[in-house]
Amino acid sequence: MSIYYKLGYTLLGLLIVLNWGMLMSAIFRKIVARVGGRYGIPYYQPWIDLIKNLGIRTTLSHGIMFYLGPVFRFTGAVGLFLFMPVLFGNEAWANFSFQGDLVLILYFQLFGMLGMALGAGEGGHPHSAIGISRGLAQHAAIELPMTMGIIALAIQYQTLSISDIVAAQQGSVLNWSIFTNPIAGVTILLAALGAMGHSPFNLVKAPNEIPIGPPTEYHSTFLGILMSSGAILHVMEAVLFMNLLFGGASNWFEMILKTFLIYFYSVFVGVVYPRFRIEQSVAWFFKIPLLLGIIAILMYSF
Amino acid sequence: MEYITLGHMSLLLGISLTVIGFWGILTQKNIIKIILSFTIADAGVNIVIVSLGYVVGKTAPIIDNAVVQEAGRNVSASVVDPIPQALVLTSIVIGFGVTALMLAFAMKMFTAKKTLDINQFNELKW
Amino acid sequence: MVTPIYIVATGLGVGFAIGILKKFGKNFTGALVLAALAFMTFISFQWFYGLHYGSEVATYVYTAGFKPPFSINLLMGQYESIASLMINAIGLLGGIYMFNSLKARGSDAQVVYLILIMAMNVLVMTRDIFNLFVFLEIVSIAIAGVILLEKSDRSMSAGFKYILASGIISTILLLGIVFAYYLTGTLNIDDFVGISLNTYKGGGLVIFLMMMAAILELKPFPANGWGLDLYEGADPGISAIISGASATASLFVLYKIMAFAGAEWNYYVALIGIITFVGSNFFGIVQENTRRMLGYSSIGQIGLLMVVLGFKDVLGDSTPFILFGLLISHYLAKAGLFWLSGIIKAKDLKEWSVIRKHPYFLFLMGTFVFALIGFPPFPSFFSKFNFVLLLTETGNIAWVIAILAGSMLEAIYLFRWFGYAVKSENSHIEKNKVCLHKSIPIWIMALALYGFSYYTSLSNPWSIAINFIPLAFVALLFVLDFLPVYIKNSLSILGMAYYFYLVYPQLDNMRLIFEVIFIVGGILTLIAGFAYKGTRPGFHAVALLMFAGLTAIIEAKTTLEFFFGWELMTAGSYFLIIRGKRSMTHALSYMMFSIGGAYALLAAFGISNVGQINLDLNQIGHISYLSTWAYALLILGFLTKTASVGLHIWLPGAHGEAESDVSPMVSAILLKAGVFGLVLTLIAMNGSDSQWSNLAYALGWLGAITALSGNLMAVFQEDAKRLLAYSSIGQLGYIVFALAMMTHLGWLTAFTYSINHFMYKAILFLTIGAVVLRVGTHDMYKMGGLIARMPMAFIAVLIGIIALSGVPPLSGFAGKWLFYNAVMEKGWYFQGIIIFFSGGLAFLYLWRLIHTIFLGQLKDNHRNVKDISIWFAIPVYILIGGIMVFSVRPDWVLQPLGNMLSPFFPTGQLNWDHSYAYTTLGYWSGTNVFITIVILFLIVFGILALSTRKAHKLKQFDITYSGEKPFRPETTHVAWNVFAGFYKAVWPATIPLVAKFWDYVTDFFHDGAGFTRRIYSGNGQAYMMHILYFIIITYIVIIGG
Repeated sequence: MSIYYKLGYTLLGLLIVLNWGMLMSAIFRKIVARVGGRYGIPYYQPWIDLIKNLGIRTTLSHGIMFYLGPVFRFTGAVGLFLFMPVLFGNEAWANFSFQGDLVLILYFQLFGMLGMALGAGEGGHPHSAIGISRGLAQHAAIELPMTMGIIALAIQYQTLSISDIVAAQQGSVLNWSIFTNPIAGVTILLAALGAMGHSPFNLVKAPNEIPIGPPTEYHSTFLGILMSSGAILHVMEAVLFMNLLFGGASNWFEMILKTFLIYFYSVFVGVVYPRFRIEQSVAWFFKIPLLLGIIAILMYSF
Repeated sequence: MEYITLGHMSLLLGISLTVIGFWGILTQKNIIKIILSFTIADAGVNIVIVSLGYVVGKTAPIIDNAVVQEAGRNVSASVVDPIPQALVLTSIVIGFGVTALMLAFAMKMFTAKKTLDINQFNELKW
Repeated sequence: MVTPIYIVATGLGVGFAIGILKKFGKNFTGALVLAALAFMTFISFQWFYGLHYGSEVATYVYTAGFKPPFSINLLMGQYESIASLMINAIGLLGGIYMFNSLKARGSDAQVVYLILIMAMNVLVMTRDIFNLFVFLEIVSIAIAGVILLEKSDRSMSAGFKYILASGIISTILLLGIVFAYYLTGTLNIDDFVGISLNTYKGGGLVIFLMMMAAILELKPFPANGWGLDLYEGADPGISAIISGASATASLFVLYKIMAFAGAEWNYYVALIGIITFVGSNFFGIVQENTRRMLGYSSIGQIGLLMVVLGFKDVLGDSTPFILFGLLISHYLAKAGLFWLSGIIKAKDLKEWSVIRKHPYFLFLMGTFVFALIGFPPFPSFFSKFNFVLLLTETGNIAWVIAILAGSMLEAIYLFRWFGYAVKSENSHIEKNKVCLHKSIPIWIMALALYGFSYYTSLSNPWSIAINFIPLAFVALLFVLDFLPVYIKNSLSILGMAYYFYLVYPQLDNMRLIFEVIFIVGGILTLIAGFAYKGTRPGFHAVALLMFAGLTAIIEAKTTLEFFFGWELMTAGSYFLIIRGKRSMTHALSYMMFSIGGAYALLAAFGISNVGQINLDLNQIGHISYLSTWAYALLILGFLTKTASVGLHIWLPGAHGEAESDVSPMVSAILLKAGVFGLVLTLIAMNGSDSQWSNLAYALGWLGAITALSGNLMAVFQEDAKRLLAYSSIGQLGYIVFALAMMTHLGWLTAFTYSINHFMYKAILFLTIGAVVLRVGTHDMYKMGGLIARMPMAFIAVLIGIIALSGVPPLSGFAGKWLFYNAVMEKGWYFQGIIIFFSGGLAFLYLWRLIHTIFLGQLKDNHRNVKDISIWFAIPVYILIGGIMVFSVRPDWVLQPLGNMLSPFFPTGQLNWDHSYAYTTLGYWSGTNVFITIVILFLIVFGILALSTRKAHKLKQFDITYSGEKPFRPETTHVAWNVFAGFYKAVWPATIPLVAKFWDYVTDFFHDGAGFTRRIYSGNGQAYMMHILYFIIITYIVIIGG
């Protein structure tokens, strides 16, 4: 397959993922509103917001790093898409995942985060910095059980390649990692709650109290880029968990269904549970998820 | 059974004096008394030296006419061992020097603190 | 050849003559004494020269025209000539030093002084035991006499205690002599040697009495209170004589009596010696009074020499080398220090800071202190090395441990003292007046020390190989210290570059990597030195000293060369570290851990040498005896340099408080010396057939825990440089862990990390250091928003933290990727997870570092700061170039590394397919990922730039916060305690248990010594009691037991 075809498919995939992500965020807001007894936004609200934001010509910037923050963020999101095999058994939708394995995905997640943190930092708004410090602390805590679960899977399949992990789960629903390795699966899913960033782990953005954390100072085009990044990232995180635990997807429909369920698992947990303070959320990951993670690894240590 | 000779007695005396001297050094608080104890011990050691050189029935190792007449040509057979006698002379001289020096120190120490109690001179410690 | 009897004749003759010539004035008599001493020195020198070069043979001198037993005879042999020369030389120099003080005491004092020196000569030479007694008494009387003639009353009680004690000791000797004569009929030592006294009834007691006297003369612990008081109370000139000459003579007396005491005494002499060495140094650590402390040190050193004498049969031919090496170092250094203490009239250790007002004296003091501890290149270094090796070889491990423990204790107080001198406050103390005649002898001692160092290294067959060229260069820089920075800096850089050019062809690849880190890294950090103005006294010499040590360990072929380099590096880095403003305590703890580590290495080299014919460094690859212990010791020694948890407490302070361009030297570069050592050890271990897997397993856990604790502590630092220092601890933990895996991938990871850590830690430390130079504080919360003022620094830090955090596409990711593969392959999952979690924590502190310094709100007092100095920026950007190359083409680095490691770890290699790296588990193409990400980044950037092309920059406070525009940066900059929430969750893990542990250990020793030293109550009778107890206990142990 020539590189141009490849690029074409990748762009198409990106478009699908972006729109699917926006739809998911609309549904998310709708659900939260309904649970709260409100009517909520129309489903097409995110597109309106996006068009509005991109349409506004900004004339303001806090400096070069501020400017680069969204660039890092968007690059991070798209890069994650590029390095992730989205659909199994399909060379076109495996994107550029041949360039690196699971480790690359794990660390490339941080690329956008880091850039965003720095960009927001130059904005100079205290809320940005507060949000970032909480986000980093929480991320570190999430990473411990998450890594344990992922390592357990990697031990199970003796590979670090996502495609190979997905391949190993084919054949039957019972071959999915969540069934073949339930403890590692639960560990990852608990950690995923944090990674998705919904309540009770949403103190980073804390939408009610410190309106919107790291992106506080971002507006117009910047905000538009951040919104699109967020949409892509949400989908891609769900795709990662889908690939690791739920047998991947062999077509777009399967992918949409599975990511929807994974995403809304965290949303539903979020609407039921109130928000943690940061020390509570950090400590939470060091309890049950860590314990499960240890058990998951111990199973392979003997 | 061996007789207790003069040599043995003086040896015993010398050792006793040495022990008494050491006892004094360790127990007396007055510096002058400590120095005196030292001279007693010193004297004791000197007596030990002399008594070790003593041989029953022989005379002092001074070669005068009496000795020569008594022993004929073999002078050394009739006198006690001369070397301890020579040693003790040196030892006495040295003991004198040390005692004198100690007394000089005692004098200076007294001038400094107007006391001769050894317990008062412990500003250098630990 | 003037016969040695003239030494005695000159002493006595001039002594009597002065009685007559008094009327010519004290200057004349003083000069006469000096002339006499010079003549005596000349006599012993010509004998020494003749005997040493074989033009003379050992000669007996008979007095009074008879042969023994009817007269006294003197022997002038090789050892006698050395001892006599030492005594006369110090007598002469001491005479010059004390010229005025002796003059003030009158011509009598001058005579007594001369007699003192003469009498000590006789002690050395005489072969008549009674004569020995007489001159022992003359020496004590003369010492007491000089003290008595002092004008002050301060030292009187010390003098009295001394004369009392020596009176008792000589009484004991006299008793022994008399009984010996009674039994054997002779007083001649040579006769005693011929006949065996032990075969006579009561002979054992005779020997016991004589040995007791000889040992007590050497002030054995704890029957030595009188000696300590003397050292403290006497004129430092006299103390120097007692410590240098009298101790030498007394040691010689012991040597002579030991010759006929029988071999069974050797053990007890050594035992008493080691108790003295350890005990004395133990009490030394609580001393605040300089001279008393030096007294403890002197007594301790003599104890060590007694150990050597006690082991003379074991050491065989090496005895003289070891004995004289230690003795000469002690003799020169202690005399020098006592003399210095007479010029620097500082009683309390802390007041020695005044020595800084005489920089050359500080140099001398440093020379003496390092010589006493046994640092290279001083003779004591070679002696200690040989001593430990030989003791280990003969199975005396417990002795080695005791000797090293005693040396460690000595190092504690000497370096604490030196630290005070270098660092403590001195503005309130007035500068001392210095007379030329007082400083010249000290200079001579120091120069002699260096001269002997060179001579010793030539006379040891193994040390000939040592490369002294770098050291000579360091010496040159010392001499040129007055030149301005830019000349010295250029000279240093050129010197290092040329040296690198000379050595690099001789090195294998692995050594080359470290040599590049050391020397090229050194050159880069030296470039930053151009930013400094003035002369920057002392900096270049000590920096180059460290680099000389570093290159020496790389080039080392033998364990001796390695240890030599290791100690040089320690000394150099100590001086570098102590240059920091508040570095006194940190430098001390660095030194303590370094010396402890070095002794562990020394012990390990000793063990590894057992059963091997040479000192070849490769011998650690086939250790036959206690091999696991040897490896454990080696690892322990190297871990002190890599600052693994438990041994790390020196690092944060030492690196954090160091100067801006020193921090990268000691962090990015120096720590790799420990890594290099570990690499050597582990390669050797891997090739050996010893059971090392448990050791490696423990090391792996240690590395993981180090990584976690280092990174966790870094998160909560407010001081930028301490943050980086803790980060270094964590990074070195990664490396130790990776090495411990003992697999191909593990080692590849370790080398990748070593290279990366060198680059990004140098970048970060240099940049932050340069920023600190501009803003004048280390505290991050006092900075903020500096991106506006220092874009160059910001970009450097940005690159540095991306690389360190391991985020693709920069080179740090190579390490992370390898880590996952290596851990998975090895199966060390838990340790690996700790490592990965630590990596996550790194984000917290890295963000804190860049955010609180460069982002957020600019402080009012920094509105006009300039960007970092160009001299700092140059090396930083060169290193950034290095990181970029590594990032774009990781295969350029990783492939050769893999090839280099294949001989050691042939299985489980990293496979390459063009730019793709494969393991059995995963795959990754650094180059492609880099290209992908960069293209993506540029596209997004282009789009954004297109849509926001009219954007202009806002002012600092154009934000709304709490409903209004903020106006003070301090209230708006989120910086202090920024991870408060995280802290609430993890605080139990941040309790500094290790620091508390070491505090407890320190207190234990300090309090223990402080309490026990009260046996030295200052009461003369108590001291006599100690002597009595000492004799009784020794009797019970030796004869009764």
